[in-house]
Amino acid sequence: MRRHIAGHAARALATLLAVLVITFAMTRVAYRNPAAVLAPRNATQETLDGITRALRLDEPWYLQLWHYLYRGPDIQGAPMGLFNWPPALGYSFRQQRPVTELILSKIPVTLSLALGALVIWMTLSILFGVAAARRPDSWVDRILSALSYAGLSVPTFLTGILLSYFLYFTLSTYGIRWFPSSGYVGITENPFEWARHLALPWLTIAVAEIGIFQRVVRANMLDVLGSDYIRTARAKGVTERRVHFGHALSAALNPIITLGGLELAALMGGAIVTEQIFGLDGVGRLAVEAAVGGDFPVVIGTTILAAAIFVVSTFAVDVVTRLRDPAAR
Amino acid sequence: MSDLLTAEAYAEEADVRRFPVLRAILAERSARTGLILVGVVVLAALLAPVAAALTGHGPDQQFRSEALAENGLPIGPSAHFLLGADGNGRDVLVRTLYGARISLLVGIPATTLALVAGTAVGLVAGFFPGRTDRLLSLGTDVALSFPFVVTALSLVALNRGGDGEPVVDPVLLVVLVISLFAWTYFARLTRGLVVVLRNRPFVEAALSIGVSRRRLIVREILPNVLPVVAVYWAVQLPVNILAEATLSFLGVGVQAPTASWGNMIAEAQRSSLYQVQPWFLLGPGIAMFVTVLGFNAIGSGIRNVLDPQG
Repeated sequence: MRRHIAGHAARALATLLAVLVITFAMTRVAYRNPAAVLAPRNATQETLDGITRALRLDEPWYLQLWHYLYRGPDIQGAPMGLFNWPPALGYSFRQQRPVTELILSKIPVTLSLALGALVIWMTLSILFGVAAARRPDSWVDRILSALSYAGLSVPTFLTGILLSYFLYFTLSTYGIRWFPSSGYVGITENPFEWARHLALPWLTIAVAEIGIFQRVVRANMLDVLGSDYIRTARAKGVTERRVHFGHALSAALNPIITLGGLELAALMGGAIVTEQIFGLDGVGRLAVEAAVGGDFPVVIGTTILAAAIFVVSTFAVDVVTRLRDPAAR
Repeated sequence: MSDLLTAEAYAEEADVRRFPVLRAILAERSARTGLILVGVVVLAALLAPVAAALTGHGPDQQFRSEALAENGLPIGPSAHFLLGADGNGRDVLVRTLYGARISLLVGIPATTLALVAGTAVGLVAGFFPGRTDRLLSLGTDVALSFPFVVTALSLVALNRGGDGEPVVDPVLLVVLVISLFAWTYFARLTRGLVVVLRNRPFVEAALSIGVSRRRLIVREILPNVLPVVAVYWAVQLPVNILAEATLSFLGVGVQAPTASWGNMIAEAQRSSLYQVQPWFLLGPGIAMFVTVLGFNAIGSGIRNVLDPQG
């Protein structure tokens, strides 16, 4: 077990390092001259050359990479490398702020969005999945599976637009203002407003995810419900509710945890479409704006963040499923 | 004579083995529904030029004087514009039909490319344990860790040549970007299957009588893996169709004026014109829904037949 975890951790680190090098190389080629982005519009060639030198863009890429990792661009004199303490991700050209600070300022939004959606979609998927598995091929099962298909087949952006059309625009034409059209309020400022602002984005993400998870829950429940120990539990008089939600669900949970961890990681990397539609200023939006505007330190930073979250959650999922599985312990 | 008989018996057995599956799939309710839906979409894609010819409206042609009201707002459905017009006075119906072409033209090649690349990687990784496997699996992990949209944006920036013109065709780029991410799933699936097959006696037997590894992989292992991978192709296709729409919605996929459902919906949202002219949103929206639903239904129908437990 311990050896397995160490091996997995080493692999995770190697993955991250590879992602870092590839992103670095790719952005270096893609965004040709950041000096031109930084310089004032009517800058002379001399100014451009000066900025290029100051950012060390004239050095070979491996020196640049080393510099990025170790010290970062020392625009304000302080080192800002990843291998420094505190580790930092460089300095945004466009916003003139450290990338780490930028990302940290956006994380609460994305985290609220992803975790809130997770709670909603997991609760509903488990309820719907168990309800469907209880009586396979009944009308309940048919309706729920039709709904989950529909959720799976609508792109997130369409769900978002439709929700904001019906629940914001149409309602507000009748003078009902339950949901705002966009924006974000911190949970510490006002928890009620926080939930009110995030309700539609949560629902948008949840619709698509329920489409995936309801079927997974149902399939795994059916799998487990056929096994002997469930029959034994029923034989000794355990109530149906406890059989379903206690015995069977707990056994069927592993693949759901695995998939849930991966989906959550993907969302943390930026639920870009949802953030865009509901005007949420999260990590995804930061990344997109940086990529469009050629602000490559931010592009590298957000890519690394997303990859790190993905790698860490794969790792966590692996550990959790192993801990839950007595055979592998 | 006896040879002929056995040959016939073999052929018959092969028939029985092959066709019942196909027949069972065709008899399965959700697969059949899916096939009908996808058939309609394919027909729409094929007939798009016919619709353009019949109405006299090209997909990118603007009819500002006929299709826009005096205040500049697009008109609703009428005899000339069955689904109304968009903000530029273009026929929504014709554009939706042309959007089906882009959807299929991106989704199918991207998924196929991913299948070919992923299966190749998975075959090699699964067959050669040790360093080769570790290296290829690491490569798969790395590709999986990249965030899709941001990386796609960087690749689009990479595609901008010195004069600002794209180096490769934007549609081709979308195909490449999607397959760059999608191959990983095929690679993992194939690797898992090959690892199991590799320990079966027939592999050892083949190696012991001197069959070359390449021949063994291509002639013996690949045919065993291919059916499962092909089913997964059908599962992955709708995912990739949605990926194209998402990229186009965000403005990094298929570029205007070429009609894609993603960029049509983006335009409807950006201009808020769908609030006056809902078909501008609903045309591509419903088309998208029907397509993805159809492919999803086929995929799950096939799985129901081949693997009733799952």
